[in-house]
Amino acid sequence: MRLLWEELRAAVPLIFHGNPYLLSIIWFTIQVAVIATVCAAVIGLPIGLAIGLGRFRGRRVLQLLANASLGLPPVIVGLFLFELFVPHSLLASLRLQETRKAVFVAQTILALPYIVALTAAAIQGLPPGLLDQARALGAGRRQLCTLALREARIGVLAAVIAALGSALSEIGAIVIVGGNVYGLDQTLASAALYDANAAHYAQAVAVGIVLIGLILILMGGVGALQQSGGGIRLRFRS
Amino acid sequence: MTGVVLRCEQVSVRRGDREVVRDVSVELRVGELVALLGPNGAGKSTLLDALGGVIAPAQGRIERHGRVAIALQAPDLARRSVLVNVTLALAWWGVPRPERADRAREALRTMGAEHLADRPAGTLSGGERRRVHIARALAVRPDILMLDEPFAGLDPEARANLLEDAASVLRSATRATLVVVHDRAEAWALADRLLIMIGGELVAVGPPRDLLEHPPSMVVARFLGFDGSLEDAGETLLTRPAHVTLDPAGPLRARVKRAVPLEDGVRLELELDRGRLYTVAPLPAPRPGDTIRVRVHGGARFPLGADGAAASPSGDGRSGAPAGAQPVARRE
Repeated sequence: MRLLWEELRAAVPLIFHGNPYLLSIIWFTIQVAVIATVCAAVIGLPIGLAIGLGRFRGRRVLQLLANASLGLPPVIVGLFLFELFVPHSLLASLRLQETRKAVFVAQTILALPYIVALTAAAIQGLPPGLLDQARALGAGRRQLCTLALREARIGVLAAVIAALGSALSEIGAIVIVGGNVYGLDQTLASAALYDANAAHYAQAVAVGIVLIGLILILMGGVGALQQSGGGIRLRFRS
Repeated sequence: MTGVVLRCEQVSVRRGDREVVRDVSVELRVGELVALLGPNGAGKSTLLDALGGVIAPAQGRIERHGRVAIALQAPDLARRSVLVNVTLALAWWGVPRPERADRAREALRTMGAEHLADRPAGTLSGGERRRVHIARALAVRPDILMLDEPFAGLDPEARANLLEDAASVLRSATRATLVVVHDRAEAWALADRLLIMIGGELVAVGPPRDLLEHPPSMVVARFLGFDGSLEDAGETLLTRPAHVTLDPAGPLRARVKRAVPLEDGVRLELELDRGRLYTVAPLPAPRPGDTIRVRVHGGARFPLGADGAAASPSGDGRSGAPAGAQPVARRE
């Protein structure tokens, strides 16, 4: 306990000294979290909508896969991506190994199941009569999707929060595909691991405190949007 | 036939492996209000879905002349204002944006719900939700309007109020309306014509009064509340409580087996030598065990042992069923 207290005392000045290294990691972490979440949402929302609204064969299998992917071990994802990115492999031509882009890809893949599974669940939890009635009155696919997203917005925002949390905190994949290179492709979480491994405990604690602060700010923002209920105003067009 | 907006011929509908609707033929004409009546599980909603195009029939042919709007049984509304819910329905239907607000308000006014326009849907009572639900189906002005149990789940007062308003609102000279109900009182209050469905089959079609006075089969009679049964002159006489009156000079002797108090009297179960009758007696009423005399006016007669659709009905005056009320098996 005493050791922790001392590390905390040593960490606080590091946070407030305007350390350019720390600032660059914060900025990169925000970039990774936001871009990975947005990419996961762009890819995952249509899939979640299709699973939630669709009546096609294989929908249940997709749902099962999405749910199972929630337990996807980040290290395994990282290993697979690493194998795909190394020279002479399938995606070697993309030259992503140990790059920032690889970090974005890895975090997007890890955030995707949250968006897909939780969006599908939120839509399936809507009163069935509402969507069936819209269909019965001639609603088109786009109108149905807009209606479903708007009505399930609290659940959909919960999916975004979960995806954002994953993108901010997961390190298993990015340390493998990005290499956790000092000053290049470190996020706050992977930098904390780096510092801890290097026995720079005060630095690791400082990074950890900043990460928790960032999580509180970002998640708090999306959470406030969720709680406001009407935070998202989607316009309905015929 | 002129004015026919929907015609279905020998339609069967399956749900999974089960044939839920069998060999149904029916027509809807512009200007008429038809009630589809039947017990739970009779296949009414499935037939409605098939007629409305929500599900495809396994067999048979359905012709529609015009657009069909269905108000499903669950009055689930979006978590927005009442007005927005109705304008949304108009958007789904393809009504141009500038027309939507006025048409939505007009439909709400028609259903006596204009004062709810700005209320969030989540704050409505069950009766109010039903009104808005019906209003959005009316707002789209379909050629064929179908409503699936629009009065389900309401308390008696809300149901009576809504039924009173809906009876005139649902009638339109420019469209055909089909309403699924499972309460006979709703059917009497609404319909020009009644379709009775039992066990997936359409067992009777006709004006409500004709069907009630001359049920075409014992199955239909039982469903329409002919709960009393008496062997008389080599026939089975089925009666409703209104057909049986207590009369000290009546020709039939009966023993009161059971007495169930009602709001305005007592429902009596009467045991006779050749059957059992039910009636509602005013207070003070006889008590269980009493022997009384009763008289039967009306009822429906069937050959002894008749078991439903095959039975040849005759009214109490033995004049036979009128053309309007007939077992569907004998149609055309």
